[in-house]
Parts: sequence; structure tokens; C-alpha cells
Amino acid sequence: MMRGGTIFWMALAVMAGIGLFLLKYEVAEMEDQLADINRETLINLEAVHVLKAEWSYLNRPQRLETLGRDLLSLEPVKARQTLDISDIPLRPDSAAEIPAATATPPAADHLPPLLAKYRRDP
Amino acid sequence: MIGRHPIPPRRTSLEQPVPPAVETGRSRLLIAGAMFAVAFAVVAGRLVDVTLFADGNEPRLAQSTGETSHHTDRADIVDRNGVLLATSLKTASLYADARVVLDADEAARKLATVLPDLDIAKVRRKLMSDRAFIWIRRHLTPRQQNAVNRLGIPGLDFLQEERRVYPAGPLVSHIVGHTDIDNRGLVGIERAFDRALGRKGTPLQLSIDLRVQHAIHAELSSAMETFQAIGGAGIVMDVNSGEVLSLVSLPTFDPNKPMAIGKEARFNRATLGVYEMGSTFKIFNTAMALDTGRITLGSGYDAKDPIRIARFVIRDFHAKRRWLSVPEIFMYSSNIGSVKMALDVGPIAQQEFMRRIGMLRPSPVELPEVGSPLVPNRWREINAMTISFGHGISVSPMQLVSGVASMVNGGVRRNPTLIHQPDGERPKGTRVISATTSEKIRRLMRLVVENGTGKNAAADGMLVGGKTGTAEKVVGRRYKTKALMSSFIGAFPMTAPRYVVFAMLDEPTGTKETFGYATGGWVAAPVVGKVIARIGPMLGVEPVDPASDDIRRRMAINIVTEKDGRRQLASF
Repeated sequence: MMRGGTIFWMALAVMAGIGLFLLKYEVAEMEDQLADINRETLINLEAVHVLKAEWSYLNRPQRLETLGRDLLSLEPVKARQTLDISDIPLRPDSAAEIPAATATPPAADHLPPLLAKYRRDP
Repeated sequence: MIGRHPIPPRRTSLEQPVPPAVETGRSRLLIAGAMFAVAFAVVAGRLVDVTLFADGNEPRLAQSTGETSHHTDRADIVDRNGVLLATSLKTASLYADARVVLDADEAARKLATVLPDLDIAKVRRKLMSDRAFIWIRRHLTPRQQNAVNRLGIPGLDFLQEERRVYPAGPLVSHIVGHTDIDNRGLVGIERAFDRALGRKGTPLQLSIDLRVQHAIHAELSSAMETFQAIGGAGIVMDVNSGEVLSLVSLPTFDPNKPMAIGKEARFNRATLGVYEMGSTFKIFNTAMALDTGRITLGSGYDAKDPIRIARFVIRDFHAKRRWLSVPEIFMYSSNIGSVKMALDVGPIAQQEFMRRIGMLRPSPVELPEVGSPLVPNRWREINAMTISFGHGISVSPMQLVSGVASMVNGGVRRNPTLIHQPDGERPKGTRVISATTSEKIRRLMRLVVENGTGKNAAADGMLVGGKTGTAEKVVGRRYKTKALMSSFIGAFPMTAPRYVVFAMLDEPTGTKETFGYATGGWVAAPVVGKVIARIGPMLGVEPVDPASDDIRRRMAINIVTEKDGRRQLASF
């Protein structure tokens, strides 16, 4: 009886020792992995930093202006191309009042003054 | 069982008395045992304490090994929208330990193959010396570093350093400035905030808007080319917060190549240069006279004859040779009328007013390159007369812009700043003129663009107002007639001004399109007009119809004019 107990406790101790040993190595390996990942993160952060500088360099307004002029068919917004929301006429109350598709645009005197001013004549 | 008392004889077979030595041994054993027991009890107690009570759990967060955050030794500088203006990049610098270099001659020759602009003789001499540390070349590109590595010369090594890079380049050079090779600020914000930037931390956000900066830079450069000017300056300021949205001084330089900067390009005309501003000072003169209550918009002065004082003759450039009302004096930029206005107020009050609006002290803007104004030592009547139309006092464009901002914003002076202020926050200012006077000045400035000398500054729907200024440059001790300083200061929208825009050209020459004129109204006013047309929509200024009844009423001004000897009222 006494001997059985001793063997049991000894086996337990040895197993705990082996377990601890394996765990320690596993942790060490994971720590190495973590350090690798951290190093990689740092390299990537540095690369991002360089790319940000390059991005700002490529976004110089002078360059964008030249590119926009050469490659796009757009023009800078002029003040007269903007309107106040209240200058846009309200939709008629009922659907019946909506003119047919062939309807001509409303006469100039029906438009608010700003719209009338900038209306493009056919 | 063990005791000092003798053991009763009948319970033992050994009946001899215990010898004294054994007795001593026993008592010592007892003391030692007690001490051990106490020691074990302490250990046991500590064990229980450590395992059960203090920090019973595993730490929830593992301690990280190695650095995971990226930082540079010097903080970035960004514009108000977060666009990068200056940053630090890691670079490798090449150095040598001359004691380890085997063949100096061969090493120098090999190095020259990958760094072509290297001075072979100089490097050879350096490598022959017995010093342990010599710089060969600082801030190599990664490609150069790789090439040097592949040469495999013993004794060479790299040191990781940081290099300041300015992605926006010459566009913001006079604001941001630059650093020396050891990253110490030399010029501009880099110098002014050298300590703060060196403490790492968050980026420094400036009040500059790169888009606005580009707009004024582009328009000013093109005007400089058209009129063959030797320089120019431009400023855009938020009148309510004092934030400088743009500051341009031409010619400019590339902060990425600090060795190649000429003296002329280094000079900051917008803050360091002080100039006689000419007629733009009539804004201050008129505001001062209106604010004292000495005159009203209905008053006027006789501007028939030039004024002679000492050896000077004060004339009008756009002479009308008649009685002029205050709005007319402002609109036609009459020197004679302005002089009489200033004399009505007096030199003492004028000096006090100029001090109040910050014309007598260097601008408090956060740049090391700030010029001190040139003001008369004794403020006599003749000084008051010339200062009324902007001569005999030299101020920097920054001072002028800041002063005009306080004239149109309702009359409150705030310090100009290059640092971004939280949105909508208005720094505390000091009142310099009443809100009613400010309102009158706005109408007068609008009048100049509608009907006066500043028509070329008009921008569609932006309700621009402003004042032209043309001053002859002082060269040596005399005025040089052909060398002008032509400027225009504008604000928009005049119903409730948000921004002041200033443009100045140094020694422009007239062209056929301007009929040979190189005055502020011809060369600088169009720059301001074009800039406002570009930046207005960008800054969210709502365009208005200047012909609408509401705007006409708010900008209306009654002008008393004299015709055939009778005074009439005309409304604009």
C-alpha cells in the first residue's frame, strides 16, 4: 500500500516536470513568434510612414492641377454654378399637375431671379 | 519527554544521573528547533500570502517583447486638413573606421563608382588618417546603401539617422522652414517650435490650407511673370480667428535642398520685409477719423489743390480737382483728402490709433522671421500727413493684413496665428474700433471694388471689397519713381467678411494690357480677384447675387458729390 502511494506521487511529480518543461519551450517559441511579428509590424509601420510621405508628395496641388487639366474634362467650380436650396422650385402638389414629358421648361418669369439669370437659353 | 526535571527512576532502566554536558546539548537543540520552527512558520505564511492573497491571478496582459509602435525623433508638421508638410524618414549614413580600412586608395576608388559625386582625393586623405570615426556621406538612399554594402569594403559601416523631408516642397517653404543636417530647426516653424517638435508626440497642426496656399502661389507667380516683378507676397487670413490660411513669399526655395538656397529666395517678404504700404493705409486713416466721430460719411474736404509742406508736394494720383466727400476720397484714393482727414484727428490720436491696431510693434505671428516696423521717432504733423496715405511708416504685410482684419470683422483685434485653432473658437481680442465704424468701412471697401480703383478685384458672387495701394520704393535716401510696390488688400464676402486676401508685387512693370500702368489696381487687384474666385467655393462661402435688393441695401452708401458748384446726393 505504502509502495503504491510512493509510485503514484513519484509518477505525478515526473509528469508535472515533463509538462512544465514542454510548456516552457512552447512559451519560448511563442515569444519568438511574437517578437518576429512585432518586428514585422514595425517594418510595415515604417513602410507606411514612407508611403504617407510619398502620398503627400504625389498629392502636391501643383501636380494634381496639371494632371486634372490634362486628363480630365472637368473645370474648377465657379461661384455661379452653385445655388441656394431655396432657389430650387418646389414640386407641384399633385401628380396631375406634373406636365407631360413633352412639356417645355417653365418660362423665365416663373423662375426665381437667380435661376432666371443663369438659365441657359436654347 | 525531554525536560529539565530528572526522569522518575521507576520508569527507566538507566538510573544514572544525566551528565551536565548532555543537559546543555539538549537545551541548545531545543532553542535551535524553536528558531527553525519560527523560520518555517514565516516562510509558510509568506507562501500563503503570495499564492493566495497578493496577485492571485496570472497577469491578464502578457508583457510584450520588443517595440511595437513606430515613432520618429521629430514630430510631423501637417496643414489644417491633415496633409503632411514635414516628416522624418529613416536613412542610413555611411561612416568609416579609418584604422580598419586596409587599402584607402582602393576603397576611395570603389566608393566613387557607387557615389559618383564623391571627392576621391578628399575621401582618400580621410581614410589614410588614423581616426576611428569619419563621415563619408550622410543620408544615403536605400539603393546607394545596398550598393555600398555590395562593395564589401572592410571598415565601412552605416549609422541609422533621420532626415527631414518636405513633401509639399517650395509651396510652404517660408512657413514651415527647414532644419540643418542634424535636424535642428533653422528657419520658419521648424525653428520657432524646435523644442516642441523635438519632444516627439503628436503632429503639429498649422492653420495653413494647402489648397489656398496653392491658389495664391499660382496666381501670384503668374502675375509676377506677366509684370516681370522681382518678388511678391500674399496672405490669406481668417478675420474672425486670426488664423493665417496662406502665406506666400516669392521667389521661394526648396526646403529639401537647403544648401542651394539663395539669399533673395530666403527672404520672407510677407513677415520679415517692411514696406511703405501706400494707399491701403487709407483704410486705417478713414476708420480712425470715422471712429473718433470727427467726420461722418457725409463729410468732405476740398481736394482742388496739392498740399505743399516743407519741400514736399502732396498730390492725387487720380486727381479730381474739386471738393470730395469721404466715400469719394476713399474710392478715388485721394491723398489730399486723406491728409486733411488725418490733420483733423491730430498726430497724437493717430499715433495712439496706430499703436492700438499693432502697427508700431513687430507682428506677434509665430515665425522667427518677423520684421520690426519703421516708425517716426517724433510723431510730428508732417509724419501724420504722410502716414495718412501710407508713407513715412513701414510695416510688414502681416501687420497690414492683421490690421485690416480687425477693421472689417466688427472692430476686434486678434493676434495672427499659424497654429490651427479649434473650429469655431474665437480667441479673445481687444476692441479697436466700434462695430458701426467697421460696418461703414466694409461699405467703403465694397465701393472701391464696385466703382473705384479696385474694379479688377471683383469675383463673381463673392462680394469682394478692398483697397489698392501703390508706393514708390525708397532706394537709398530717395524715392525711386519707376520702382513700385503695388498691392491690393481685399476681404470677402463684404456683408459679413470671413477672409482677408492680400497680394503685393515688388517692382512690377506695366504691360500693353494694363496701358503701361503698374499700380495696385492694375497688377495686384486681379490677383486677389482670381484667388477669391478660386478659394471662395473651396472655403464654403456662399455666392450671392450682388444685384439683389437685399445686398444692394446692405452695401448702399450715400455719396455727396459736387457738380457745377452744387452738392448733390447720389446713391451707390
